[in-house]
Amino acid sequence: MDADPQTADLAPSHDDAASARLKGWLEDYRPFTDAPDELAPPDGSTPEPWLRFLRAVAAYPEGEFAERFALATRHIRDAGVSHRIYGEDSERIWPLSPMPLILAEKEWTEIAAGVEQRATLLEAVLNDLYGEGRLVSDGHLPAAAVTGSDDFVRAMRGVKLPGGKPMHLYAADLGRGPDGRWWVLGDRTQAPSGAGYALENRMVLSRAFPHLYNAMNVERLAPFFSDFRANLTAAASRTDPRICLLTPGPFSESYFEQAHLARYLGFLLVEGDDLVVRDGVVYVRTIAGLKRADVIWRRVDADFIDPMELNSSSHLGVPALLEAIRAGGAVVSNMPGSGVMESNALLSFLPALSRRLLGEALKLSNVATWWCGQPAERELVERNIDTLAIAGAFGGKAHLAVARGPRLLADLSPDERSALRVAMHERPVDFVGQEVVRLSTTPTIRDGKLQPSPFILRVYAARTEDGWRIMPGGFCRISDQKDARALSMGAGAQASDVWVIAEKPVEKISLLAQRDGARVRRITGNLPSRAADNLFWLGRYLERAESTLRVVRSLCTSLMDPDAATHSAGETLDKLKGLLVDSGAVEEQSLGHRVTDVAQAALYDEEAYGSVVSQVRSARRAAASMRERLSEDFWKRLLSLEARLKEEKQIRMSESAGLEQAETALQDLSTLSGLTQENMNRVAGWRFLDMGRRIERGINTSRLMRKLADEDATIDDLDLLLDLIDSQITYRSRYLEGISLTPVRDLVMLDPYNPRSVAFQVITLKAHIAALPVLQDDGMPEEPTRLLTRLACQVEVQGAAALDGPQARAFEHMLLDLSDSITDRYFLQGANATPTKKLGGLA
Amino acid sequence: MNYKLRHVTTYRYSKAVTFARCALRLTPQQGPDQTVLTSSITITPPPSRLQERIGQFGERVVTAIIDTPHRELRIEARSDVAVHRASLLPGFTGASWDCVREEAAASVSLDMISPAHFIYPTAMTRLNPAITAYVTECFQPGRSVVEAAHALSCRIKAEFTYDPDATLVSTPAIHAFKARRGVCQDFAHIMISGLRGLGLPAAYVSGYLRTIPPPGKPRLEGADATHAWVDLWCGKALGWVGFDPTNALIVAGDHVVLAVGRDYADVAPMGGVVLGPGDQTIEVAVDVVPGNETQTLEDEAWRWARSRA
Repeated sequence: MDADPQTADLAPSHDDAASARLKGWLEDYRPFTDAPDELAPPDGSTPEPWLRFLRAVAAYPEGEFAERFALATRHIRDAGVSHRIYGEDSERIWPLSPMPLILAEKEWTEIAAGVEQRATLLEAVLNDLYGEGRLVSDGHLPAAAVTGSDDFVRAMRGVKLPGGKPMHLYAADLGRGPDGRWWVLGDRTQAPSGAGYALENRMVLSRAFPHLYNAMNVERLAPFFSDFRANLTAAASRTDPRICLLTPGPFSESYFEQAHLARYLGFLLVEGDDLVVRDGVVYVRTIAGLKRADVIWRRVDADFIDPMELNSSSHLGVPALLEAIRAGGAVVSNMPGSGVMESNALLSFLPALSRRLLGEALKLSNVATWWCGQPAERELVERNIDTLAIAGAFGGKAHLAVARGPRLLADLSPDERSALRVAMHERPVDFVGQEVVRLSTTPTIRDGKLQPSPFILRVYAARTEDGWRIMPGGFCRISDQKDARALSMGAGAQASDVWVIAEKPVEKISLLAQRDGARVRRITGNLPSRAADNLFWLGRYLERAESTLRVVRSLCTSLMDPDAATHSAGETLDKLKGLLVDSGAVEEQSLGHRVTDVAQAALYDEEAYGSVVSQVRSARRAAASMRERLSEDFWKRLLSLEARLKEEKQIRMSESAGLEQAETALQDLSTLSGLTQENMNRVAGWRFLDMGRRIERGINTSRLMRKLADEDATIDDLDLLLDLIDSQITYRSRYLEGISLTPVRDLVMLDPYNPRSVAFQVITLKAHIAALPVLQDDGMPEEPTRLLTRLACQVEVQGAAALDGPQARAFEHMLLDLSDSITDRYFLQGANATPTKKLGGLA
Repeated sequence: MNYKLRHVTTYRYSKAVTFARCALRLTPQQGPDQTVLTSSITITPPPSRLQERIGQFGERVVTAIIDTPHRELRIEARSDVAVHRASLLPGFTGASWDCVREEAAASVSLDMISPAHFIYPTAMTRLNPAITAYVTECFQPGRSVVEAAHALSCRIKAEFTYDPDATLVSTPAIHAFKARRGVCQDFAHIMISGLRGLGLPAAYVSGYLRTIPPPGKPRLEGADATHAWVDLWCGKALGWVGFDPTNALIVAGDHVVLAVGRDYADVAPMGGVVLGPGDQTIEVAVDVVPGNETQTLEDEAWRWARSRA
């Protein structure tokens, strides 16, 4: 049978099994009795787009639908699409539903019009609050309904905004009420999250069901993002502006999303420390010095954005950023203070404000809300206290009982209830009463069956020159609760893609620049210092892991060697174990343990900082804070290597198993290094990654040479050294007469043709440094260049016979100094940027 | 009453600082109760950039950037101020506090001195049921707002111990409240937290207090200090009235206002960030000399004093 869903979609399925499946699904589907459902409208019909989707799904042979989805989902899991719960080290896998939320164009048009109107309204209110304040002084909005918000940033009042617009991205959370109409549950005006997840969800579903996706005329998301980017670009005062996405950092719950968006939109992902304000202009710290940052799209909350003027304990912000905004030196979007529109207190005033400012009623009602700061409203809430939900007027800080969202008094414990009543009596301004919203449901697949699940839809709007553009789609969160009240939407929610079905075929567009607008460029700007730092250390950790793996491999091979005469086994083993202790891979007291136990610890002991698993973990952490710069393949490999090392440690290891595991891990590392060699652009980032590797390899090789090729080195020692630095074959092909000290030293340390020698690392490092930008144009060499030139000369003129331990140590120290001078010159914590501290204390 | 003010802050660093960005709120407030006659700030080493702006509650903020490496940073602020604030006349006790609360919640102004800015808690003045309960004992329903607030300020003076070693500049109200000790900043924060707990608009004021030398002794130079107290909005008719819980006083001609905000963080006389690896020590000296005293401020015989009163 032809399982192509496209054909299945065009004609009613003639496959009996498929029809039976579809029929079964629809017959077994049991929507809640008290909530409308997307698949089962009141008239008893099944909406056409849903029917097309389900028919196509049913046409897949048994199991294929699930399999396709599982494959695509695995793709996201492997790529690390997951969001981090703050304070948790491990990343939670982020669940996606295989069923999209499907909305017909007709319905979508209404939603879009409503969201567009609301964005227009909120923008007008923002402009007034931070401008003349007429809405307050004319009595349309009590001042105290505004000032309670932590996001009312007084310092922004009266500031002429560079770029002119207070918001470039807005989102509304919608739910469908019992009467089938859409309701606004809340506004996201500060830094709406989730748009990146929407993109990712779309990628997964379109990859899992490509024919279906194409056949159903699903509206594309790319034009929306393209518009958003164009308008941020237009907000800047220069024609080719640098746009930064300011992130709170890798511990932020939605860091992945931010990294993903930055890469997709071509923005520079920066943290507060990356930026600096000088004379009212914002700059990025890069390896080429300070470079202007024109637009800052922030994901850091306003209160944390400028420790000089706002929360002084913030480490996430940029000192004097507000000064830069006032001076017109940077567009910061959404404007600090835009978050004031998110408070519940304002919800109660928006219907009237809409009539006043826009001359029309709200197209999408918001949840009916009464702010208790007003006597009449307070009385109304008191009268209906048992049927209304109580919420903080300005977020959860009002009272512990409502810290996590609106609550019904009936759902509280008696103690909580009376404490809440007292608080409402003492400070009514902190509370609102809200109508209890019931959500509609949408079908999801659970246990192989279609099940109704309550959902909330987040819709995004981007500001363009002539109004707002709505993303045709969105971010849909699905509850796993059987309760359709909005207030029970909590943790444990799934996400789903949102398909807006066009009536006519949609044009296929992706984020490609207009044919005439594209300017050719080969380098995308200067590398930020932080990224350079992380890449450098990524290189160092990977190289360390590799060298430890080689020691473990030799340890296991020595044990397996049947010919004890070729290896004076005991001594060699002791030396190898000594190397593992020196590198921090195992603790000294474990030396007495069985050799296989030592090898096992060196591979898997997460407590030891030098073990392979620890080095790989450090590498992953360095990589995580600049995920947008690494290819997906690289990241996937690195994650799976770490995961495997963590899994394998359970098993008690034999020497042959140890050998195999070390070999596999070495192969993974060489794949990673192959990926960087073959796929990374030969720009500064690649150079820092490679420099980290080269410095580490040079240091390590010098160390090994001192231990294993000193004056009384045995043949076994030299043999081992050649193994550890992977130069056995080179040596044997070059010196047929067998192993002796001077040729080994030359090959290991001085031979510029051997890619494992110290000389080779130095030459490569020199080329890297020479290709990097300089700060001054006075022609003087910078410190790393000076150090490296001296080292290169010394290595070049050194003779192998005279190369003893102390000389090798001198090379090693010069490499360590080089690493320090690279840190000082290029990275954030270098001399150019010693740690900031607060000026304060007594005053 | 006219005052000559001198406020010198000296930071000393164990290692050279290469870059400092500071925000100074050291220029006294200009307003109907107070006229600034002259005012100047001298920074050593000299800043490469100096700007003045009006802060969020109308205070004058001087921002300075010092980018010459230095081991010592000295900031000297001098001003001559005429204070016209009269004592509250007996009998002017304002509306009942319950009415004041409703009036504040209904305010139709976002101006810098609107009571609406001062109703809500901040990081240093979080609400706490224990503090609110403590304050409630002075605020019986219907009691006049001035009377109740003064009673509260007297109660704090009586029941709390002045102890400069009990708290730090960053100590939140609740710690000092539990310990029943602290300095002016703590007493002001406690009083503010409690008043806001009742929904009343209370502000934090930083400034100076004229000290009266013991009879027959000359005023000691530099022995004065910065001070802090509470402004309470007492309804449209009375407006803002100052209460000094450290001294159980209603604020009048002896207090000079530097800046008003929601808590210490809003008005800190000195704030900012420096780039430098070492430790720092701070010394502060303050002189508040009434204009009719002949003593000159030019002589350099400074006595360093703790600054927080």
